[in-house]
Amino acid sequence: MENNLDFKNAKERIEHIEDVLSSVAAGDLDKRLQTDIEDDLTGIEEAINILIEDLTYELKQSKKMKEELEDKLNKIQEQQKTIVQQQEDLLELSSPVTKVWDNVLILPVIGTLDSQRTQIMMENLLQKIVETGCTIAILDITGVPTVDTQVANHLLKTVTAARLLGADCIISGISPAIAQTIVHLGIDLSSIKTKATLQDAMLFAMKKNNQLFEGKIHLEHKEQEEDDK
Amino acid sequence: MNLDIHDKKIPIIKIRDFLIVSIQVDMHDKLAVQLQSQILHEIERTGAKGVLIDISVLEMVDSFIGRMLSGMASMAAIMDAAVVIVGMQPAVAITLVELGLEMPGVDTALDMEKGMEMLEKKLREKES
Repeated sequence: MENNLDFKNAKERIEHIEDVLSSVAAGDLDKRLQTDIEDDLTGIEEAINILIEDLTYELKQSKKMKEELEDKLNKIQEQQKTIVQQQEDLLELSSPVTKVWDNVLILPVIGTLDSQRTQIMMENLLQKIVETGCTIAILDITGVPTVDTQVANHLLKTVTAARLLGADCIISGISPAIAQTIVHLGIDLSSIKTKATLQDAMLFAMKKNNQLFEGKIHLEHKEQEEDDK
Repeated sequence: MNLDIHDKKIPIIKIRDFLIVSIQVDMHDKLAVQLQSQILHEIERTGAKGVLIDISVLEMVDSFIGRMLSGMASMAAIMDAAVVIVGMQPAVAITLVELGLEMPGVDTALDMEKGMEMLEKKLREKES
């Protein structure tokens, strides 16, 4: 009768197993069962020990994975921040309004136009018109590949708003593709001064400038004549 | 007697052939209507050939004021006086355009000086 279970002993050992299991459940993974006595319970004890080992290993693995994922998430969030920042920078940079001549402002537009961009463009242009007191603004859209109804509408709005401030807006560099789309869409641009190239627009602006200037000279002459009388 | 803000009038100054109106308070509808008839009466009284309306301090223009301004331009035009609106703020221009109030037929200028030049040029063209 070898390895016969002594009931009293067995009860103690089962209690011990229970103890170990409950402390493992509570999170203490260092506890192991002693397996030095060989009897019917040894198999169970060893199995439980292997189970605890496996559990420890799995927990470690998942902890590691969680850390890795968190790292990656942080990286992605940082990248997202950079992208947003760059988008904002791009929007700011993409609508430079410059004064090129007395009384003449120029706004070269490059790239695709969307509502947000045209909105910023419009605000920048109007702000600059008021700041510099220029009465002629050239909107050069040579670098714009396509135009849709909304964008054409925004361009119209920009020109109208500039007119309300008291500045004339000239649109230059309308490509064949854009001309086609605009006519196909049935948008009426006839109320807006359009020129083929930026050069033409500049020439037109200078001529207009000269007219303004001559008008002033004419006025001064007249006043002088009146004074002479 | 408590003088209500509604009783205040906007001054209209006559210089040579022009009337100068500088709006320096927030416009409300009643004041706008009052200003409209006030300006038209002044045109009749003084025989002015041009009206300069300075709205550079107006931070907000609603559709009513916008309509009133463009209406006044056409009314003055048939009384043989040109109206130039000067000094509109960018935000106001954007609002008006968004409201669809593009004020066709109303002349605008960036500031008083340019507006004055514009009126003088118009007068010269009319005379010649």
